[in-house]
Amino acid sequence: MAGKYDIAVLGGGPGGYVAAIRAAQLGFKTVIIDKENLGGICLNWGCIPTKSLLKNAEIFDTMKNHSADFGITVKGLEFDFSKIIKRSRDISDRITKNVEMLIKKNKIERIRGFGKLVSKNQLDIFNNEGGKFDSVTADKVIIATGARPRMVPAIPVDRKMIITSTEAMILPEQPKELIVIGAGAIGVEFAYFYSVLGTKVTIIEMLDSILPVEDREVSDTLAKSFRKRGIEIFTKATVEKAEIKGSMVYVSINVNSEKKELSADKVLSAIGVTGNVEGFGLEELGIELYKNHIKVNKSTYETNVKDIFAIGDVIGPPWLAHVASHEGIHCVERIKGLNLPDINYENIPGCTYCQPQVASVGLTEAKAKEAGYEIKVGKFPFMASGKAFAIGEREGFVKFIFDAKYGEILGVHIIGSEATEMIAEAGLAKALEATGESIIKTVHAHPTLSESIMEAAAQAYGEAIHI
Amino acid sequence: MDIVMPKMGESVSEGTILKWHKKKGDHVNRDEIIFEISTDKVDTEIPSPAEGILTEIKFNEGDTVAVGTVVAVIEANGGANINEKAVEDNAVISEPVKSQSAGEKKESYAVPETGTEINAGSAAETTPKSLVEKGSNSSGTLVEIKMPKMGESVMEGTIIKWHKKVGDSVKKDEVMFEISTDKVDTEVPSPSEGIVSEILIAEQETVEVGTVVAKLSTVEAKISAAEKTPVKNAGQSETEKEVEEIKRQYAGAAKTDTVKSSAQSAGIKPEQKASKFLSPLVLNIAKNENVSFDELDRIEGSGLDSRITKKDILAYIEKRNSIKTIEPAKAEEGKPEPAADVFKLSFEPSYSVNDVEKIPMDNIRQKIMQHMINSRDTSVHVTALIEVDMTGIHNFIQKHRDEYGKKEGIKLTYMPFIANAAVKALREYPLVNSTIEGSTIIKKKFINLGIAVAIEPTGLIVPNIKNADDKSITGLAKSITDLADRARNKKLTPDDITNGTFTITNYGVFGTIFGTPIINQPEVAILGVGTVTKKPVVVEAGGMDTIAIKPIMALTLAHDHRLIDGMLGGRFLKFMKDALESFNENSI
Repeated sequence: MAGKYDIAVLGGGPGGYVAAIRAAQLGFKTVIIDKENLGGICLNWGCIPTKSLLKNAEIFDTMKNHSADFGITVKGLEFDFSKIIKRSRDISDRITKNVEMLIKKNKIERIRGFGKLVSKNQLDIFNNEGGKFDSVTADKVIIATGARPRMVPAIPVDRKMIITSTEAMILPEQPKELIVIGAGAIGVEFAYFYSVLGTKVTIIEMLDSILPVEDREVSDTLAKSFRKRGIEIFTKATVEKAEIKGSMVYVSINVNSEKKELSADKVLSAIGVTGNVEGFGLEELGIELYKNHIKVNKSTYETNVKDIFAIGDVIGPPWLAHVASHEGIHCVERIKGLNLPDINYENIPGCTYCQPQVASVGLTEAKAKEAGYEIKVGKFPFMASGKAFAIGEREGFVKFIFDAKYGEILGVHIIGSEATEMIAEAGLAKALEATGESIIKTVHAHPTLSESIMEAAAQAYGEAIHI
Repeated sequence: MDIVMPKMGESVSEGTILKWHKKKGDHVNRDEIIFEISTDKVDTEIPSPAEGILTEIKFNEGDTVAVGTVVAVIEANGGANINEKAVEDNAVISEPVKSQSAGEKKESYAVPETGTEINAGSAAETTPKSLVEKGSNSSGTLVEIKMPKMGESVMEGTIIKWHKKVGDSVKKDEVMFEISTDKVDTEVPSPSEGIVSEILIAEQETVEVGTVVAKLSTVEAKISAAEKTPVKNAGQSETEKEVEEIKRQYAGAAKTDTVKSSAQSAGIKPEQKASKFLSPLVLNIAKNENVSFDELDRIEGSGLDSRITKKDILAYIEKRNSIKTIEPAKAEEGKPEPAADVFKLSFEPSYSVNDVEKIPMDNIRQKIMQHMINSRDTSVHVTALIEVDMTGIHNFIQKHRDEYGKKEGIKLTYMPFIANAAVKALREYPLVNSTIEGSTIIKKKFINLGIAVAIEPTGLIVPNIKNADDKSITGLAKSITDLADRARNKKLTPDDITNGTFTITNYGVFGTIFGTPIINQPEVAILGVGTVTKKPVVVEAGGMDTIAIKPIMALTLAHDHRLIDGMLGGRFLKFMKDALESFNENSI
């Protein structure tokens, strides 16, 4: 299989496999190297399997807590935890196979093994036992090795009782109690999932709100909803120690300089990720790193070593699959010499798939003020939406942050049902540099939840109709 | 009967069996689902092609097999054997109807003559290109119209207006379009008769000299095309028409598109203000910051399709506002840049929109503005003034005006006399007829005398009389009249406006007594001519001072003190004064 290629892609996640397909489309002879199934964390251990789990939780939640609202009587409602997990794994398996097929269809060479850069243009391929079985050369190498859960000494992950997101999605049994450390998207989603299934969940967050990157009003709304569910939340709380004793994990936290002892049968560490930069030969080639990630030029995605590129989680935040894919495409198109504008990192949507869902693009109210903008805020609650009423999803709101001077859409924040689907409109509006007026004057179908986006924009200008 | 893995699309070569809905020995009805498959394109359910008993399952769930592989066998029910047998050979399972893709259809029905759908499809893809190619193919006689070179130093021109549109016929020498350069606005005539087949550069676009701006298919081409067309039509089927229709649609689409500089941009409407897509945000910013459409046109966009983004316009505004503060420093450095952006100095408006009328500057006005600022920043202007007694010339004109008009067909004025005196002075003091290049003086041995001509309503241009020192007063008179006429009728040639060596500006015609003109770069002096007025002056008559009434004219010489000091300026003027005052009829 030893071959010579135009482009070698190291890593088959949503950054790598998308880059490889785009490269093949553009006529490059391409090889993709990954020792695991293609799809990376996203398809195997992230986005897709967790969204599968969350759907189970949503359905169960609706049937258990809201069926009466719809005049439906459910008797003997129960679930089989192992089947919930199995469904998620089956979906993951299927979808990763589809990616393998896409790779084949695009005539991309697929090497299953661990690739290591031995020179600027050469990758040796090793099997799981560390035996070298192949070697390829390529004019350009794209590193897309992704990231993995970050570890800290205070939280000794054993992957059985103190677990990461990976184990959390394949637990053999439902935990009775779960402590989630870190209230980012991953932590919050698992908190929701297990809480719905009946696990007693506690969230510990170091910053002063859950989903701390989101707009404060959104975080507060979600916290309220979670507390109503019975999830206990500690913010401004640091973990001093987590210890396994017998069948329990004991976690000492410090909340507002007050010590607290918590315990649970499982602890999920969801305190962020760190780049996979070790073992690929990066150090030997002198590839420059920055805070455990590869440093690149965010216009070409080239590293400090010519002809070696890097994309996706391994180059650092915002660790998102959709960003990795776009970076992959952009990187390859630049290699091809296509003239295109750089990715605008201000216009990247972020989504959290608990219920109510959270989605946003752009600046929060606080960040906008911090940046010195004079702002105009528009808000529309789903409570006032006819569609939300009809489908029984009245929680949440849409919030717009405008620049008062030029009418620029600085940020859009949605919390509520289908928020993650609705954010696309805001993303497009921002990408095309639309203004509030553009949204207000766009006819939105009735009855839809999306109308709330139009109404929220209108509200900023005192033109909202339904509030 | 064998059941095979169906082909789910052109590029699909394999499929994975997801699930068997039947097991070995099951009875299946025709169209009943036997199994589910997954490919990279779709997941789908496969129905049975016939009724029978599933006798064999060759692959397990999860197996991936190549298209065409037998995955199961159905034994048709007894009795129908003969018929089924006949069917069997062909009964390699057909694809589920749902998945029959366009690609598949293409394969089975692609007969060129009747394949309208296919042809139309491919034509649509290649239309823009083929339109162009067609143009050049039928064109042994296709004439390219280029941006003309309007003078030695002119590298580019802006198309101000198209007088013709695609499809219009033009005669030879008929005006096709108007252009504007930094030197002159002019109309460009067609080099031959024909039909405008393509307009490549839209109005307000600036292109380099030599760029093809339009294509003209000449009359021969038209005829031959006309001859060919019916024959072709007779031979071509409906498809051809359909292709044409699609082409037309494409052409139409391109028209409404605000394409920046593509071959289709002929469609940009003249009344259209902005020639590219501007986002609502960019428009808002432009409105708030008083950025004109003209300015927007000049901003280079960094967005997709070269769109102007928020960043671009904000950077532009910042640059524009900073020029204000940088400008004085620049002048001190003695390295003034072509002051292209200086006019964009923002001044805080203190009026309401209703109190003013906003008029975008035309190209000429903008160029004048730039030239004036450039000159002011380049030369050290010093102005000297002298009074000239014009009695002799005044009397000569009074006496000979009518005769001159009849004989030479021109109106006799003071100008040729002054021009003549200036030429003599330039010959005497050639340093005034020179240019500065760095620290070198370029002293010119030829005199191309520039005459500033005002063009109504607000323009100004300086054509020059080539080798003015070879001309008599009558010759100069004719040249001045000719240049002025042509300047006002936009008939100046590039030569007329390049290579001047010295300029005369006559503001006296407006009654001005004297002025301090700005030097026409790269020259080093300009002569200003004041009005001739009768004035009481002291003259010496018979050894006695006495007051007389004389036609007096003030001449001013604005000269560049970098090269010409007061002494030379004064001597030059004194020389002119003496030449003018000593005029007699023999001089002519």
